[in-house]
Amino acid sequence: MPPIVLQVNGARRRLDVPPDTPLLWALRDALGLTGAKYGCGAGFCGACTVHLGGAAVRSCQVPVRAAVGKPITTIEGLSSDGSHPVQRAWVEEDVAQCGYCQPGQIMAAAALLAATPKPTDAGIDDAMSGNLCRCGTYQRIRAAIHRAADGAA
Amino acid sequence: MERRDFLQVTATAAGGLLVLGALPRTMHGLAGGSLGAFVEIGPDGVVTIAAKNPEIGQGVKTALPLIVAEELDVAWERVRVVQADLDRQYGDQYAGGSDAVSENFDRLRQAGATARHLLVAAAAARWGVAADSCRTELGTVIHEATGRRLGYGGLAAEAARLPVPEKVPLKPRSAYRLLGTRIRATDQPAIASGRVTYGIDARAPGMLRASVLHPPFGHRLASLDSAAAERIAGVKRVVRIDPLPSPLHLRQGVAVVADSTWAAIQAVRALQATWERAPGPPVDSEAIRDAMHQAVLRPGEPVRNEGDVDRALGGAARVVEATYELPLLAHVPMEPINCLADVRPGRAEVWGPMQDPDGVRDLTARVTGIPITAITVHMTRAGGGFGRRLMSDYGAEAAYLSKAMGAPVQVLWTREEDLSQDFFRPCAVHRLRAGLDASGRVIAWDHHLANPSRYAYAENGQPPAVSELYPDDFPAGFIPDFRLAYTHIPCGIPGGAWRSTLHSSNAFAVQSFVDELARATGKDPLTLRLELLGPPRRLDYKGHGGPVFDTGRLAGVLRLVAEKAGWGSPLATGRARGLAGHFTFGSYAAHVVEIARAPEGFRVERVVVAVDCGLVVNRSGAEAQVEGAVLEGISAALYGRVTVEGGRVRETNFDRYRLTRMREAPRVETWFVSSEAPPSGLGEPPLPPVAPALASAVFALTGERPRRLPLITGPA
Repeated sequence: MPPIVLQVNGARRRLDVPPDTPLLWALRDALGLTGAKYGCGAGFCGACTVHLGGAAVRSCQVPVRAAVGKPITTIEGLSSDGSHPVQRAWVEEDVAQCGYCQPGQIMAAAALLAATPKPTDAGIDDAMSGNLCRCGTYQRIRAAIHRAADGAA
Repeated sequence: MERRDFLQVTATAAGGLLVLGALPRTMHGLAGGSLGAFVEIGPDGVVTIAAKNPEIGQGVKTALPLIVAEELDVAWERVRVVQADLDRQYGDQYAGGSDAVSENFDRLRQAGATARHLLVAAAAARWGVAADSCRTELGTVIHEATGRRLGYGGLAAEAARLPVPEKVPLKPRSAYRLLGTRIRATDQPAIASGRVTYGIDARAPGMLRASVLHPPFGHRLASLDSAAAERIAGVKRVVRIDPLPSPLHLRQGVAVVADSTWAAIQAVRALQATWERAPGPPVDSEAIRDAMHQAVLRPGEPVRNEGDVDRALGGAARVVEATYELPLLAHVPMEPINCLADVRPGRAEVWGPMQDPDGVRDLTARVTGIPITAITVHMTRAGGGFGRRLMSDYGAEAAYLSKAMGAPVQVLWTREEDLSQDFFRPCAVHRLRAGLDASGRVIAWDHHLANPSRYAYAENGQPPAVSELYPDDFPAGFIPDFRLAYTHIPCGIPGGAWRSTLHSSNAFAVQSFVDELARATGKDPLTLRLELLGPPRRLDYKGHGGPVFDTGRLAGVLRLVAEKAGWGSPLATGRARGLAGHFTFGSYAAHVVEIARAPEGFRVERVVVAVDCGLVVNRSGAEAQVEGAVLEGISAALYGRVTVEGGRVRETNFDRYRLTRMREAPRVETWFVSSEAPPSGLGEPPLPPVAPALASAVFALTGERPRRLPLITGPA
């Protein structure tokens, strides 16, 4: 079995995993990038959201072989120091409670803002309703997305 | 003063100040003398404060150290918070009962104030002045008369050598700089960077990963063919898990241990297991439902009985009756159940998301034979808890597997296993009857709850009190002829504590019924509640958050929420409001839920909440708890339901166990009563009023009374 080569957070990473391994487990177990979280394993919750080729994807639903050759960005690579506008807005709005879903929420929000710099509430609903939060932080997530959008303008 | 109430001070190796604080006995009944370190000040002036309790999203890693920092008089920006391990010196360490702040408030203030007192004494000694001629300001001792100043860092070593006073004066509230303000949660930057270690992120050298399959409820393993599972690359071993006698402690299971999580998950799917029915009570939710409905028609065990309810109902001008039904609910914390254990000869180390680290340690000892003194327990940040992690079975499972493998093992349950093997919020049927006199006054009240009591799962099978109808809840004490009755329904589906315990169920029934009585008598629902409460009284309250139920404070939050929500003001066509209020865990909460007609029936637009929880420690964190309780209450009321057939849960992932999503999330507005009372619970109290306020709004909109939850069934 030849090694898989991925482009993760700007670096070339070789890993020995079966090609049908979900990207989530390749990132977490083989590459030690634990920011993306396991929540449901079925694409319902969004806790595992990363960027693949610039788009937000459920990494639990993407086999590593399908990620070869495309740039992958995880929460750890969104910025080197937490300075991405979405990350800063999340801190400013004191969004997280348990925080477990928030890397996925942040990656979904970052993808939304990259495509739509000034989203409406309805646009936020559409982009973010695939990401579950069990603690009830939706109100603060909405405020943080608007804050990031305003700051980026 | 008892020994355990003293504060001790010792010098740290680095020459800093270590203040050891005393806390009450642990929930596991360990003897007193539990002393623990809360404050360390380095020579550089950096203040480290230990966060003693597990952080599950409720904000105690911020709120508890904040209390210390207030009395210590330091800049919060200079405080470094560290999560404590399980250690008897900290006293109680758990997340449950909404009592972290209320139980620790006095002692954490003493810990901070004592450290400050010693730093002042050290400065005064160095200057040769009286201590009371000095004051502190944000990490500096100041001698006003001469303008001299010394930072805490330069005083820490001297302060650590001074005698420790038994008790020092505390700040008046008027002097607070931190408590009551908006403080951002400690870990926000690390969370936003994906750099927080949850249980699932814990790592140990050479660790293996396990996935596990458990029998359906009421079943046991009949046969197992693991050949296909063992052929999967990376699989190390298939391990049969022998259960402990109570399902609270360790369930039977089959685990696959592998060198990667994905290999373990795949291999568990490849297991060929057959199960056989074990003797025991029913494990079908429909059968349990039928039993509950039949039971409430017969007399139950008396929980409270005043006057002569049957005679009063017989003589009433009018009797109103209603039956309410609630389903099993799952906890589904976003971080699925997991734990990492490293069991070695004679010692063990455990990392995981926990609400009861003592329980994890006790069960680790039980399954390994290692004494608890040789077991180290690290509480990682937990991706939610909601009561599920008060059960420590998963910790026992990790220890069991690590012992079997002779290597560190991290066990992770899939979401399907999490939903299939939860300790559910018990289902319930409530039958209520009220007698009204000719003027519409409520003169008799009869409430019978039938449900499978979660207390029946207690370890020894002889719970002291089985009833999940709590004897002192509203409207007990307000109606002369008053009866509460309870029937336990035997059930083989495990029950557990779910945020606010059965208050989530009982308040739905009682508050919905009060709304029905208001409609029946033509009274405004707020007016009727205030009439029933009458003049302010302090009643004995033996349940969660007692010993006092101050009826004036409940009336206070009802009035406040009515004012803030515009209760009684006209609404646009197609909109409606509902109101409910409840006391539990020491706090008072009242909600107005506003809904609007929508293509899907209705949508929840706005929830206004008034809370009296005494002193608000961290306003941002407190609002977060209210927002979270409201969203959880809405998820449960709209969608939450677990059904079980033949011991198998049918809702095994988020497609069938629905939770509120962003597009359904209402605006939540939180108002705190300005109160001189000490802080009381907050994680749970704002949950029980949500469902009855929502159901009353649905009635106001549609004219149809929801008496069975959830309101919406079917897949997402």
